[in-house]
Amino acid sequence: MGIDYYNILKVSRNATEEDVKKSYKRLVMKWHPDRNAVNTKEAEEKFKQISEAYDVLSDPQKRQIYDLYGEEGLKSGLHAAPSSKEKDYYTGAGGGRGFK
Amino acid sequence: MSTVGTWSSPFAFALLNGTVQSFPCISSLTSRLATTWSWSFTQTTMATNGEGPAIGIDLGTTYSCVAVWHSRDDRVEIIPNDQGNRTTPSYVSFTETERLVGDAAKNLAAMNPVNTVFDAKRLMGRRFSDPLVQNDMKLWPFKVVSGPADKPVIVVMYKQEEKQFSVEEISAMVLAKMKEYAEAYLGSPVKNAVITVPAYFDDSQRQATKDAGIISGLNVMRVIVEPTAAAIAYGLDKKSKFSIEKNVLIFDLGGGTLDVSLLNIESGLFTVKAIAGDTHLGGEDFDSNLVGHLVFEFKRKHKKDISNSPRALRRLRTACEKAKRILSSTAQTTIGLECLYDGIDFDWKVTRAKFEELNMDLFKRCMDHVEKCLRDGGMAKNEVHDVVLVGGSTRIPKVQELLQDFFDGKELCRSIHPDEAVAYGAAVQAAVLSGETNERIQEIVLCDVTPLSLGVSVRDGDMAVVIPRNTTVPTKMEEEFTTYIDDQTDVIFQVYQGENARTDDNILLGEFWLSDIPHAPKGVPRFNVTFEIDANGILNVSGVDKNTGKESNITITNVKGRLSKDEIEKMVRSAEKYRDEDRKLKRKIEARNSLEDYVYKMKGTAKTVTLKSKIEDTIRWLDINESAEEYEFVDKLNELHRTFR
Repeated sequence: MGIDYYNILKVSRNATEEDVKKSYKRLVMKWHPDRNAVNTKEAEEKFKQISEAYDVLSDPQKRQIYDLYGEEGLKSGLHAAPSSKEKDYYTGAGGGRGFK
Repeated sequence: MSTVGTWSSPFAFALLNGTVQSFPCISSLTSRLATTWSWSFTQTTMATNGEGPAIGIDLGTTYSCVAVWHSRDDRVEIIPNDQGNRTTPSYVSFTETERLVGDAAKNLAAMNPVNTVFDAKRLMGRRFSDPLVQNDMKLWPFKVVSGPADKPVIVVMYKQEEKQFSVEEISAMVLAKMKEYAEAYLGSPVKNAVITVPAYFDDSQRQATKDAGIISGLNVMRVIVEPTAAAIAYGLDKKSKFSIEKNVLIFDLGGGTLDVSLLNIESGLFTVKAIAGDTHLGGEDFDSNLVGHLVFEFKRKHKKDISNSPRALRRLRTACEKAKRILSSTAQTTIGLECLYDGIDFDWKVTRAKFEELNMDLFKRCMDHVEKCLRDGGMAKNEVHDVVLVGGSTRIPKVQELLQDFFDGKELCRSIHPDEAVAYGAAVQAAVLSGETNERIQEIVLCDVTPLSLGVSVRDGDMAVVIPRNTTVPTKMEEEFTTYIDDQTDVIFQVYQGENARTDDNILLGEFWLSDIPHAPKGVPRFNVTFEIDANGILNVSGVDKNTGKESNITITNVKGRLSKDEIEKMVRSAEKYRDEDRKLKRKIEARNSLEDYVYKMKGTAKTVTLKSKIEDTIRWLDINESAEEYEFVDKLNELHRTFR
């Protein structure tokens, strides 16, 4: 099992949307890097996790997928990246688009 | 997972608000770097004692405004300029003897059109070949040419010499003037500032703004987006009245840009939900439409084309701007210009209806952006608690009417000053970042979002988005990638910013690659790519080969169009030189004034023939020596002092 978003947001698994939002706001006020001049690095890490968790749990669809399949279920499909030799054909950087 | 490549700006773009900072701008680093390479630039952006108060600057397309937080009285003060105006035209004018900025420059615009630069913000971070730039140039009386890396360069005659300036330098002149006004008003030097940019500014535009700040001698603590700044002004204004959650739509229609943003405000927490807008839609476009119409009317009536006369166009433009303002409160006005062209006087009645008709398409476009913003934020019209008007152009009745209609007759919020709200909010944020202890502003926390999507170029040049638009920052996101062909031995990750499906149409921020991939059929290898935006808005992109767990090489290349560190330093020095010249000129004028003053005072009291002739001599000398040096005026004055003692 991957990251526990519920734990990060300090809410139970059956928390309502309103609970999630409230907790998120409270945590943001606490961990926003602007408000943590001393331990910025730690605050930033926390903030990133909080945002990620909120992004999932505040969206009913994403939350459902997460509940069923966990964090892995939320990953989008695999992208194919070109090799350095081909990049110009794709990006037009060398004016070679349409060459294929 | 380990970090393979980290790139950040040497100018530590301290930017949380709706920003994505990502310039790998060390041009010398084009060679391949060893595996565990880490690199961090840190720049203290917090104000320290002895640097004076931190100011907020709204660097506008047409007007700029500066403000400061007064910790003594716990309020924001808008700082007036030397003319007593609370906003200053973003104009710079070059003459045979001096360089003028602000009101003085705008007043001279008609006399000296080709050497008066305005609208610099429209060129900010853009390429010369950009169609928008090409289009704008047609309406500008000053000369813009293409410089290195397709950067626009402004060409003017200054002290009988042709001078070239980058857009950053011109904007730095405006910023330096705002800094000067603040210093004069506060009676202390000012070092730190928060500068605002439109929410829709992309990375290069934000970076260029920041560079302008550096050139002007400021330490730019942060660049924040205008609507957020306006929301702070609104939030502070409303705070006493509510503490419950509100959704606020900020409609900011200024001189050059339109920004529509949807914010959620709860107590002191500001969260930007969505942003939309157009970096090229504002009051100046309304003026231009009116100018275009009048040029046409002039041609129809007098069979003469005035569009080739910069002076006539400048006068017409100024008159149109004035007429537009008047039409916000009256239904009809007259534009009257004596000897506009070829000795012909031009008188024309403009009605509000005609003005509205000419600009209806633009007004409607504004509403499209409002709709888009709501759609992006996933919010219905009736969920918006307040619609806040910001920017001078929101005074136009038709704009208010369309907006009100759009929100089904909802009363619009006009409680904050449309011209000053942005600078006001910037000043508050400057105070927050300086560690101001006032409890009202200590509660303010800005949660901002990325203005544009960030991603990687994949198969056939499509954009694979890693961090979508409107993601709250700081953030960290990952995507998985694979190979495109069998036995591919390396992969290149080109990082782009923008909303287009094809990366060709987006902006390339940088690239790096993973090499020495073991032979495998296409689609088998797995690479994890992580995008991370930190609290300072700096983007770090890293990649790792999951199959081998191996960290590979990276390559960092410079982004075209960004000023190099050397260039900026050179510009900082030359900006200082110009400021020195300005100061010298000011002292010279003051010396001349005190001499003239003394001469005319003594003229009445001089009784003897020797004294009278001495006075006459000096007056004659003053007439001939219009531009003598400072010391000459001082010498003359001392000489007179001795004679009259």
